[in-house]
Amino acid sequence: MSKYLDKSIEELHKLLKSKKIKPIDLVEEAFDRIEKNKDLNCFITLNKEEALKKAKELENLEVDNLFFGIPIAIKDNICTEGLRTTCASKILENFVPIYNATVIDKINEKHMIIVGKTNMDEFAMGSCSKTSYFKAPHNPWNFDKITGGSSGGSAACVSGRLVPLALGSDTGGSIRQPSSHCGIVGMKPTYGRVSRYGLVAFASSMDQIGPMTRNVLENAELLNILCGKDPKDLTSTDKKEEDFTRFIGENIKGMKIAVPNYFVSDIVSSEVRDKFNEIVKLLKDKGCSVDYIDIDYIENAVTLYQILAMGEASGNLARFDGVKYGYSYENPKDLEELYTKTRQIGFGDEVKRRIMVGSYILSGENANVYYDKAMGVRDDIKKSFEKAFKKYDFIIGPTTTTEAYDINEEFNDPSKSFLDDILVIPVNMAGLPGLSLPMGFTNNHLPVGLHIIGNFFEEAKMYKLASFIEKELKLNLDPRGGKDE
Amino acid sequence: MDKLSREEVLHVAHLARINLEEDEIEKFRVQLKKLMDDIDKIKDVKDYDEEMLISPVDHNAPLREDSEGKMLEYKTVMKNVPHSTGNFVEVPVMLNE
Amino acid sequence: MNNYKTTVGIEVHAELKTKTKMFSNSANHYGKMANTCTNVIDLGYPGTLPTVNEEAIHLGLRAALVLNCKINKHMHFDRKNYFYPDNPKNYQITQNRTPIGVDGYVLIDTENGKKKIRIHDIHIEEDTCKSIHSDKSSLLDFNRAGVPLVEIVTEADMNSAEEAVKYLEKLRELLLYADVSDCKIEEGSMRCDCNVSVSKTDKLNTKVEVKNIGSISNVGVAIKYEEERQIALYEKNETFKEQTRRFDDKTMSTILMRVKETGNDYRYFPEPDIPFIDLTDEYIEETRKNLPMSAEERRNIYLDAGISKVNVEKIIQNRTVSDYLNKFIGKINLVIASNLLLGDVAAYLNKYEMKLEDTKLTDEKFETVVKYLDSGKINSKIFKDIIEDIMENEESIDEILENHNIKEMGEDELIEIINNVLENNTKSVEDYKNGNERAIKFLMGQIMKETKGNANPVLVTTKLEEMLNK
Repeated sequence: MSKYLDKSIEELHKLLKSKKIKPIDLVEEAFDRIEKNKDLNCFITLNKEEALKKAKELENLEVDNLFFGIPIAIKDNICTEGLRTTCASKILENFVPIYNATVIDKINEKHMIIVGKTNMDEFAMGSCSKTSYFKAPHNPWNFDKITGGSSGGSAACVSGRLVPLALGSDTGGSIRQPSSHCGIVGMKPTYGRVSRYGLVAFASSMDQIGPMTRNVLENAELLNILCGKDPKDLTSTDKKEEDFTRFIGENIKGMKIAVPNYFVSDIVSSEVRDKFNEIVKLLKDKGCSVDYIDIDYIENAVTLYQILAMGEASGNLARFDGVKYGYSYENPKDLEELYTKTRQIGFGDEVKRRIMVGSYILSGENANVYYDKAMGVRDDIKKSFEKAFKKYDFIIGPTTTTEAYDINEEFNDPSKSFLDDILVIPVNMAGLPGLSLPMGFTNNHLPVGLHIIGNFFEEAKMYKLASFIEKELKLNLDPRGGKDE
Repeated sequence: MDKLSREEVLHVAHLARINLEEDEIEKFRVQLKKLMDDIDKIKDVKDYDEEMLISPVDHNAPLREDSEGKMLEYKTVMKNVPHSTGNFVEVPVMLNE
Repeated sequence: MNNYKTTVGIEVHAELKTKTKMFSNSANHYGKMANTCTNVIDLGYPGTLPTVNEEAIHLGLRAALVLNCKINKHMHFDRKNYFYPDNPKNYQITQNRTPIGVDGYVLIDTENGKKKIRIHDIHIEEDTCKSIHSDKSSLLDFNRAGVPLVEIVTEADMNSAEEAVKYLEKLRELLLYADVSDCKIEEGSMRCDCNVSVSKTDKLNTKVEVKNIGSISNVGVAIKYEEERQIALYEKNETFKEQTRRFDDKTMSTILMRVKETGNDYRYFPEPDIPFIDLTDEYIEETRKNLPMSAEERRNIYLDAGISKVNVEKIIQNRTVSDYLNKFIGKINLVIASNLLLGDVAAYLNKYEMKLEDTKLTDEKFETVVKYLDSGKINSKIFKDIIEDIMENEESIDEILENHNIKEMGEDELIEIINNVLENNTKSVEDYKNGNERAIKFLMGQIMKETKGNANPVLVTTKLEEMLNK
């Protein structure tokens, strides 16, 4: 089998354009790779029949854009009309949406081919994809390690070179953290950059869809087609159309970079800190200034996240009640039993915990004590980031505190899934864009990510820094080590 | 928080409409207590201003023109409905209202 | 028994007259086949998001303005969380923290003059599904889900069934005349819930909420029933818990639905899917300026024009008539015009079950016919003869009169007739000259008889007086 899928998107585009290959070659190769790597458990649903059909249809069309005929994987919390969308939950095990998310419409317009829906934490609640009703995906770098989460399946299928591109969603790190663990590039765009219409909501004021790719350039290219104001999503922002790749290749000399002291404190393992310090040295060598600063309230971000995300989630997930769609408890003795048994059987423990705590947070006087106060402090976090961006071009740190841990390790601590995201959550509180880029490997040869935070709507600038570092590091990011399959 | 009682667990389970089996109540009691201890840390945050952030966006809500768009065929509506009678979605008797 | 004081507060839900729903662009239609006016947003599908209907905000603002409310210029929506099958997302998008209007009032007429009923707030929200119940299951129709509503909440300012009825009548009139809502209680586009309590002291007693009252007059019945029921309990030294009851129009009584537990726990929080909405001062003023003429203003104009109080109320009851009449303000005699509209024209429309706009009565024809009646060119008897032609034919009033061979008599012909009558009734002429005013009426009658009603009565009077006084 030819290894077309190891080539860059631009190379594939040239081959397709010159008719040297057909979309079906790519689709067949993708399914072949998926089949051979079944054990990774990246996918919940494969779209093989439809994908092959579509690839055939595309043969009659002109190759009109960079992404024409390119296979892509979609996180399973993004609604695809006619294609099962489960959110990795039993409650949506047989749910087939009757409409498309806006990003899916955009992908279809570009004639990309959806190969399947990727595994994830149930309703994107978790940090290792182990809360999936369909069992956890595995890390292509080491089968015994977690992928991270919640977009674990998307990260693993790109990392394992099963597909070149995937979509993830990020509420509190769910794109960046698994990207770090799997050694790929993951971008959570500015809140409002990409339409959320059709993304099954977890925490509406934080959720954002973003691209997960093998390298920086392709990430920027994919964001080009995802973004834009959508009349169906009132939080999507009206911005002038721009090319996110336009600064790639430019020099970074003179750029001002800040490192929050919190991001290099002892919450981060020394191994990860060492890797990060190498990056800081590199940047200084290349003419950037690097200052260590304090960002007020940043250490409260996880607490705010817990309050606001669980509160919003308790409302967002109330609609799953066995009445309109999804799993419905059979022969309930009354309405109450329909509700409580449907949700007892339909949801996993992580989801149950979060919506119970969310209900508690909003109940009676608690709304004031917890929720209102968290919204108040959230405003201050945003302001302190804004203050920092008056002086600095970027804020950087490690994406994760440690390398990916063992998939069989059991944690009895319900706070664990939040603490795994301690370095990436502040970005969602402020609504800023954040990108994770592989910055090296640990002694166990597991990738770890560099977290680049940009100012609002400055994704293009972030891609410039990221691609510069990517070029300097020249890491081999193919977990197969360049070996044949 | 000092402690979380069994009754309080059942109360939040009721608010969330989740049935708990007898053996689950204690398990969730311990777990929820841990999470509630986490969120209690908000009480220690000092010196913040009163302004609240509901959503990170800075723009106002654009308003939609009042003109009719595409609607669903009734058959499409029923595709995912677990229980229906004729044109209607069916549920167990609604007692309260 | 009568030393109890009644206290009533009222919540009204009124559906807004929009083409589409509050948060989606599916149709806001009443009476369509079940589940045919929906989209994925109305069904609460996962991943869907709300959009905000501009016209609903506009109508909400109008309602807030006619209720004399302070406007929340920087407003947002909130989620009200409760599980119920008619609530598709199991949360309702409403306004809790920043209702569009607060601190308003409505003035009602009581025996002791005007009374101010304070409006606590008016907020915009979405309606629920309609549900039909049987013994074994309930059936849901999502057509109503998401229809825009305003909820108007009063302070507990009413002290009798009569005041409550007057408030509702006034409120209905305000909303109707502001073009905010159809306010059709029978179709559910206006719904009233009342909170009723009775007490011997100024301290309020336990309140009872009465829901599902199908007409304004039944609100009065329900409150009276509650007054008696609650007083009877207190007189027996019984107490009761806060509860919700429904009005049963078969027995004309209230029936217990449920006893309220420890307050409702709606777990409100700000709706993150909808950013703030800013109502600018210009927009508010523009909306205020363009409000349709209120019922009160119309009343004053009609009374000033000399229309009787009874007829004024009849006109106000019928918005179509009022709007029609208003087209002719300052152009014609409104008394005559209103008499026609409430009398012969209404009778005609009733007889044929028609609407004014379905007839051939143009504004021009109406104006002409009223002017002819006013000048005496024709009289009401003639109008009755030609009304069918006016309503059914394209022809002008003049053409119709000609077809009926009704023409005004020439002056010479008229003088001849008057002379003849005076000659044949010398006794009456004598009586008149002796100061008997009644004699002229008799002579008028004789002349009209001779002219077969074809003479202009005003002209006849002038000529007759002229000739008598010669």
